[in-house]
Amino acid sequence: MNSFRLSVLASSLISAVAVAETPTLGNPAISAVLDGYYQSGDRALGGREEGFGLGESELAISANIDDLFYGKLTAVIEVHDGETELELEEAFIQTLAMPAGLSVRAGRFLSDVGYLNNQHLHTDAFAGRPAVYRAFLGGHYFDDGLRLSWVAPTDLYWTFGVEALKGDNMRAEDEHGEREFDTVGVYNAFTKLGGDIGDNSSWQLGLAYMKNQNGRLTPHEEGEEPHEEDEPAHDHSHSAAYTGENTYVADFVYKWAPNGNYKYQHLTLSGEFFRVNDFKAPELNEEEHEEEEGHEHSHGKDYHQGWYLSGVYQFSPNWSAGLRYGELDTQLAHDDHFDAQKLKETEVSLNWHHSHFSTVRLQYTRQQGTNFDGISDDNLFTLQYVMTLGAHGAHQF
Amino acid sequence: MRINSKLLGGLLALTLGHSASAVAGLNIFACEPEYAALAKELAPDARIYSATTAMQDPHQVQARPSLIAKMRQADLALCAGAELEIGWLPMLQMKSANARVRDGSDGMLYAAELIETLDKLDKVDRSMGDVHVKGNPHLHFSPGRLLQVAEAVTARLKRLDPGNSAGYDAAFASFSERWQAAIPAWEASAHGLAGRKVIAYHTSFRYLFDWLGIEQVADLEPKPGLPPSSGHLASLLERARKGDVSAIVVASYQDTRGANWLAEKANLPVLVLPMSVGGNDESQDLFSLYDSVINLLNGVN
Repeated sequence: MNSFRLSVLASSLISAVAVAETPTLGNPAISAVLDGYYQSGDRALGGREEGFGLGESELAISANIDDLFYGKLTAVIEVHDGETELELEEAFIQTLAMPAGLSVRAGRFLSDVGYLNNQHLHTDAFAGRPAVYRAFLGGHYFDDGLRLSWVAPTDLYWTFGVEALKGDNMRAEDEHGEREFDTVGVYNAFTKLGGDIGDNSSWQLGLAYMKNQNGRLTPHEEGEEPHEEDEPAHDHSHSAAYTGENTYVADFVYKWAPNGNYKYQHLTLSGEFFRVNDFKAPELNEEEHEEEEGHEHSHGKDYHQGWYLSGVYQFSPNWSAGLRYGELDTQLAHDDHFDAQKLKETEVSLNWHHSHFSTVRLQYTRQQGTNFDGISDDNLFTLQYVMTLGAHGAHQF
Repeated sequence: MRINSKLLGGLLALTLGHSASAVAGLNIFACEPEYAALAKELAPDARIYSATTAMQDPHQVQARPSLIAKMRQADLALCAGAELEIGWLPMLQMKSANARVRDGSDGMLYAAELIETLDKLDKVDRSMGDVHVKGNPHLHFSPGRLLQVAEAVTARLKRLDPGNSAGYDAAFASFSERWQAAIPAWEASAHGLAGRKVIAYHTSFRYLFDWLGIEQVADLEPKPGLPPSSGHLASLLERARKGDVSAIVVASYQDTRGANWLAEKANLPVLVLPMSVGGNDESQDLFSLYDSVINLLNGVN
């Protein structure tokens, strides 16, 4: 009986995939993304691993639920540390008919913090998210919660939104599992502005402030043996490696195409800056102050910081090339003090697009670490394909 | 106190600027310039915005911030439909949070849903290229279909803005009269084009060729949505050597490199036709767009 129902489901899925474009009543938009790669080494901070592997293979279903609600579900199948994980990356509803430019999204969704975060990985021009994303957002930050956003009725695009999220993946490390975390851990406020410059150029600027109630490290107990060589965020690939109570993000994107015609060539410049502070446990803060008065030397700074700049030029319908540089400055807790560490990443990607739906990518990454997870100087090559099948959803700017 | 309440009223009017402008006329968001031009004929008092120009491929528009901002303020969005805008319009609808222009609302109108499209497909597979189940969306070069669309747009304008019904009726009557008078003149002028064979880029001018009796014998695209490849161009050269092809036709937003290569090898003229209003200096409205296209085609011997 079960296998019969399964096969009926499977065949209806297949027939839907074959024809789905505009979703209709019996025919929601169904799409899958296939991502496979070979990489010559390990990427720092929970990125892709050495050898052959699969990236995030996703299956998404979306449709209008009725005249008031839209719904989407995205399941991601990921292989991590030899284990196949099935994860829900999106399972949200969104209002379609609220007045005055307001809308609400509820459930599990990609947070609107920063520029890249609300975009799906398969739309990226590189094989991985920048180091700042892997460090501060666990690659890309999706969570359970609620978002209220508003779009202004002006010719200059202006949107403003607030989010309240569970924040499980944004919690500071809790080695002993004894800490009582706030169940609504993350609040995020963001705003974006954007417009055109003539026919050729478009731009967008974004600012976000994220309050993470659980971002401070757990205070050490008296007489406790600290773990040796603690590697951050080893348990799960989607947990932020470095957290803090306050995160500030500034981002911009500028796109250019001759006459605004994106078909044959276009250029995208983007960049983001992150600063995370107030990451020390309250008592550690005090100790540090006392220490600073006593000793001359100071261990690390009292904030984490990182940024990247990226340029992607699509020079024909079939070819594009990308260049990205990013830096990450973080402080790693070590006994009673913090050590400054730094990671620099330079990445060059060459992408071949046979059609709008298939990309084959060759990427070179140079990781340069200072006190960073044992990385001093590392060169990585990645060969990857990213292909979408089924209904191809619209992409964001 | 009176000053304060005036100030408050002024501020309110400022923040609710949209509703104030709606009184002056509807806010119309056109996906392509041909629909902006049509809206101008049918609702001359409206505030009209075209999301794209005739130099942009409407398949590959970015859902950019300026478009979200315009969509947010629209009372009516007028688009070709048949999935031409599938890559960007749904994102604008979602991001603009404007219930007036969501699918199924009075403020969202797809031209392809108002007429019978050409080349509807029963079966679609991506190996066939980027094809549309609902048929060819570039219907604005079919004068009869465009008139049908105009009639439906007028009905919708009256429903959205009933206070100005008489004005919309008058605008439609004027457009319809001038359009119906122009059709036989265009057909007479294009008389010699019937039976001509061309090679063209994409099926951009499918309706124009259908109307004037021109036959597109080959496509510069190996598959819809794919750019001309050298292997495919070589096969087109073979086809052109039969000697019955009179021109290579590309639209104003299409790349001419493949066409130029083929033209040189096959000794054929390349004809760049305006895809829409604004596609060349002559095409200022729908009438002059048709004039220009037929003049250009007539210029080829």
